[in-house]
Amino acid sequence: MTGPGDQHEDDAVLAAEHVLGLLGGEELDRAERRLETDPDYRALYAAWAEDFVSLTQDMTPVTPPVRVRNAIDRRLFGARREGLLRRLGLWPALSAAALAAGTYLVVTNLDLLRPGPEAPPFGAEIAAEDRSLVVRVAFDPDAPEMLRVLRPSGAAAPGRALELWLIAGDAAPVSLGVLPEDREGRVAVPQDLQPLLSQAVLAISDEPAGGSPTGAPTGAVLGAGPVTRL
Amino acid sequence: MSRQTEIEAMIGRVALGDRAAFGALYDATSAKLFGICLRVLNDRAEAEDALQEIFVKLWHNAGRYQVNGLSPMTWLITIARNHAIDRLRARRKAESRGGGDMDAVADLADAGPGPEALAVAASENQRIDRCMSELEPDRAAAVRGAYLTGESYADLAERHGVPLNTMRTWLRRSLMRLKECLTR
Repeated sequence: MTGPGDQHEDDAVLAAEHVLGLLGGEELDRAERRLETDPDYRALYAAWAEDFVSLTQDMTPVTPPVRVRNAIDRRLFGARREGLLRRLGLWPALSAAALAAGTYLVVTNLDLLRPGPEAPPFGAEIAAEDRSLVVRVAFDPDAPEMLRVLRPSGAAAPGRALELWLIAGDAAPVSLGVLPEDREGRVAVPQDLQPLLSQAVLAISDEPAGGSPTGAPTGAVLGAGPVTRL
Repeated sequence: MSRQTEIEAMIGRVALGDRAAFGALYDATSAKLFGICLRVLNDRAEAEDALQEIFVKLWHNAGRYQVNGLSPMTWLITIARNHAIDRLRARRKAESRGGGDMDAVADLADAGPGPEALAVAASENQRIDRCMSELEPDRAAAVRGAYLTGESYADLAERHGVPLNTMRTWLRRSLMRLKECLTR
């Protein structure tokens, strides 16, 4: 006697075996096909997966070593520097010409940012080619909520502001806010951006007083530089 | 935004090829997934390789998320668990071919906290734990063994010293009772 209830019960057991990886060969192929075509079966499978996943709840998370992340990046995106140039290329406001004419990607003279032995080990230099604007940024990777900003040369044009942007991967630039008017100051980093910081490119654009009204850069890009270990 | 929705949004953006979202997904989930690789494989170097392959897979397959109706963390953990189990099974196979060193295989199976120890460590309020505890201890251990170390019916039959078909019947009956309890 095989009623619809039995069928459901059989399917429930089949879905459990499927989630556990106990199926093989033709049985597995059939189950995989049903997963794509049969919503009832899919629901049974999903319910088991959720229940069995809670068996992993007591497995302690372990931070993997940085080399794993680097290896993944290498495998998926090629060398880091290539990636940087591609990322910059994907930001239309920062054309190849602007890159060539307006920025140094070379990090120099960052010693200025080192007040003592516990100097912040990460940072970037954002400078115009003629050094009419030089901005150096540094932060402690253990406390990325605050950037220290030094501006040895240059300033915003009268009635304008210098706005700092974070570019992570292929994503659009995200504003870190307007640079302080003082030559030395601090810029707070929102919590959701902190994990992106050490792999990001920082850039500065010329914006109306108070910053870009649109949330995206509206004025000239004055410089950009990758965050590196100092 | 809840963590669940955040991770879902990241997966959605990774599916569109958003590298920043991929980095954020890695930051948010790699420790949990690495913990699972370490637990299943019990070998640091192999767990690192597995984690690497898992994230490469995630980058390429993020678009398949929601095909099988899993919540975002369950989807990620399932991919990680399945990948680690595949590696573990390949290793078992290679080791049993290479001179039939069954002791090494047994050591592997015994490595890390055993199913029983995990059962005790598991938090009591979990639905699945409550329902597992309604099964006879050896049957609950078989279900855990299948999920956490990828043991096949043949492995389980050998470990529990029963014929293959008996194992199959046992486990299916246990799964039915588990289902009955979980939907109660």
